[in-house]
Amino acid sequence: MITASYSFASISSKTALLAVIVAAHTNVAASSPRASGYWQSPSSSVMEEYIEVPLPSGFQVLVTELEGPVFADANGRTLYNWELKDLRNGSTGDRKDGDSQCTNEVLRVTSGLMSPYPGDLLLPNLNQRPSCVDVWPPALAAEGSEPVGKWTLVDREDGSEQWSYDGYPLYVSSLDQQPGDTLGGTKIDSAGDAPAVRVPVGPPSAIPPLFQIVPMATGRMLITEDRYSVYSWEGDEPNKSNCFDSCLTAWTPVMAPLTAVEQGSWTVVERSPGIGQWAFRGKPLYNYDDDPSTVSLIGSNMPGWQNVYTQRAVFPPEGFTVQASRIGEVLADVNGKTIYLYNCSDDAVDQLACDHPDTDQEYRLAICGNGDPELCRTTFPYVNAPTNASSESRLWRAMTINRNTGYRASEGEADALSVWAYRGRPVFTYTGDREAGDANGDAFGEFNGYRNGFKAFWLRDDFMTNAYTR
Amino acid sequence: MNNSGKERKSCLSNRARLLLSTTAVTLLGWGNVALAEAPSDGRIGYVLTYKNYAVYETQELTECPDGLNGGPRELYSREFPDDGTVRTVVETQLKREGRNWHPATSESPFTLHQPQGNTAYGADLDGKVGPNDFESPEGEQGIDNQLYRAIGCTMNYRAAGSLRHFINVFMWRYNNNRWVIELTDVDDLTNDDEVTVTTYRGLDRLLADATGEGFVPGGTQRVDMRWGQEFIQQVQGKIVDGALVTEPMDQIKIPWGSTFNTNGYKFFRGLRFKLDLTPETAKGLLVGYEDVDMFNLHVNTTWSTHHQSYGQESSSLHYPALRQLADGYPDPETGTNTAISMALEVNLTQTYVMHPSEEQTQAGLSSK
Repeated sequence: MITASYSFASISSKTALLAVIVAAHTNVAASSPRASGYWQSPSSSVMEEYIEVPLPSGFQVLVTELEGPVFADANGRTLYNWELKDLRNGSTGDRKDGDSQCTNEVLRVTSGLMSPYPGDLLLPNLNQRPSCVDVWPPALAAEGSEPVGKWTLVDREDGSEQWSYDGYPLYVSSLDQQPGDTLGGTKIDSAGDAPAVRVPVGPPSAIPPLFQIVPMATGRMLITEDRYSVYSWEGDEPNKSNCFDSCLTAWTPVMAPLTAVEQGSWTVVERSPGIGQWAFRGKPLYNYDDDPSTVSLIGSNMPGWQNVYTQRAVFPPEGFTVQASRIGEVLADVNGKTIYLYNCSDDAVDQLACDHPDTDQEYRLAICGNGDPELCRTTFPYVNAPTNASSESRLWRAMTINRNTGYRASEGEADALSVWAYRGRPVFTYTGDREAGDANGDAFGEFNGYRNGFKAFWLRDDFMTNAYTR
Repeated sequence: MNNSGKERKSCLSNRARLLLSTTAVTLLGWGNVALAEAPSDGRIGYVLTYKNYAVYETQELTECPDGLNGGPRELYSREFPDDGTVRTVVETQLKREGRNWHPATSESPFTLHQPQGNTAYGADLDGKVGPNDFESPEGEQGIDNQLYRAIGCTMNYRAAGSLRHFINVFMWRYNNNRWVIELTDVDDLTNDDEVTVTTYRGLDRLLADATGEGFVPGGTQRVDMRWGQEFIQQVQGKIVDGALVTEPMDQIKIPWGSTFNTNGYKFFRGLRFKLDLTPETAKGLLVGYEDVDMFNLHVNTTWSTHHQSYGQESSSLHYPALRQLADGYPDPETGTNTAISMALEVNLTQTYVMHPSEEQTQAGLSSK
């Protein structure tokens, strides 16, 4: 420990007494979603290609706006799995090649899987609580069904058979109403202390083995097998690279082995005799040598260079903006106030969600208002939607909410709030954000906002993984 | 600053300056010997490599005669004893979480144990010796450090507290926590009556030794001008016998996130530097006031209740004490103090601060 005892009083009076903020060298301002480059137009036909796999009779593949290709049943309902996840004090979910752990039993108490609170606490609203099967109906197999490919059958306790894919039992979500809805869950990676969530299941993406796809809130981004981002350059021509000499000091072509086979949107550009470079949709692909970490958007700062996506989500509705923030960019309201998503799952073994207006509101009210709805509305106000609200993205819809209970309002309910919802969940701003771009409400709630709390709607994070975790 | 040489501009290239300064430092043996002359171009930068609240403690725990505070687990057990009562999530877990996020100023059912001695680290911030002030271990009177009263008997803030370790681990690991100061107009690193101190967020990893936890001078930090503008501040100071002292900065944010995708910051008022300078390190204290509400928000958004439990820290237990002990920056409307005096112990390691224009120059040079 060092202590010093110098006087502060004798510093020259020539100097200013107050600290000053150094003039900004660059502008930090909001931009419109359409100018930001994060989303694609609803008129775009760009969708992710996938590898066709054998399907049981009655099942299909739908290419969805956010999740890309997913399996769906005959009614268009997306299929999900529930993989086993380690929580703080144990694990829950379905084991690979095991039976379904999602049953008809209405669970009454917490499991104690998430510390520091003990288990055996009575869950809220027990007289209305659904069972796991009520929320996640199993994808039942018709009598006489036979396994096909990675599709197998598991026995349920009631004697029925449930479809399983790649060893994990399949379910549909009670939230999905329209074909292609994916309101039950997302493929975006689950953060460390997030609940054991359900994830949409689909066929493999049609990409060479060298590549992977990172699901993000704005689209499905290509990376290489070592997770470094992939970029394309406006200076190239279709299936022809113009990046040579000095260009190569910052950009490394993603090389294609001699055994590479062109398929679908994937071609091999010959840089020099015998030296191939992968190209996607005719655009030669590169890694950025100065990317400081994996899954980066930093190379897209260079003029003419862009990250590469198999598909992107569609623009958010009018009135939303993109705002520069402390570690990257966030989705913001028209005033530049950061948008927040609310995450919640209870601590019962079946880990049912409590993050939307048809589920228990006690969790959210505790975090945003200590149980007081008015304080809650002040701390994390809903984002009001105009009466004629419309969205080109099916991820966004206006919904009406009972302002006091937080539940979905009944039709014609007086004094209900019309609010914006993303994936069927209302979005919020935070009263503690005083300047555009503040994200002071990020991580507000249990387990840093992942378990019962609020996370900013991150579009870009140059330092951590906020842009591709939920 | 000295009057001579202020306008002196080096005509050496960056590489030559780096070579010369490295040579000079090497000749001085990299010891605790300050350069007797100006650093190259009158500039020297340092990057933060250690930080923690300065907490005075004894092995015998004499400063905490009532013992250490309980954390979330202990307080939960006291409030809801395991006596066979059937309890609900709402009346237990959610009640306690609600208190954490919306803490009351007085109704906590538990009493916070506070240090009872009169010794604390820090500085005399208000120029007065008051009844609540401390005496430093070196005997300086009038030490203002009321935060020590609030946190001094909580394990997390003491030497054995786990968060004291993790705070630094995550600072090293994540570049969004990179905090850099640059001294300019420096004619003499031992005595200079006017220097300028500018704070930035850096963008780069720390230069570590083979242990990974020891940091060595000579690294480079690029200034974050895109996302890090809120961390740019400037203040005047002076160097006296090798020690940098500055004027108070009215408001300053220091990036201070954790892991778990957090990106929080600390918000200080009237922050002053008291740092012993060498060509390779700057060590000492940052003293001033910390905004009480932002302290609480930072604790909760950086460390979940689970993580606060590691070191028996309960934010809802601390908050009433923070409010009660707050001693600075009264709200102009209510007169209630909004900030609490405190001291941070810090180590910084010399680094070369690369501004955007230099960055471009270096990039250009390296590509030739």
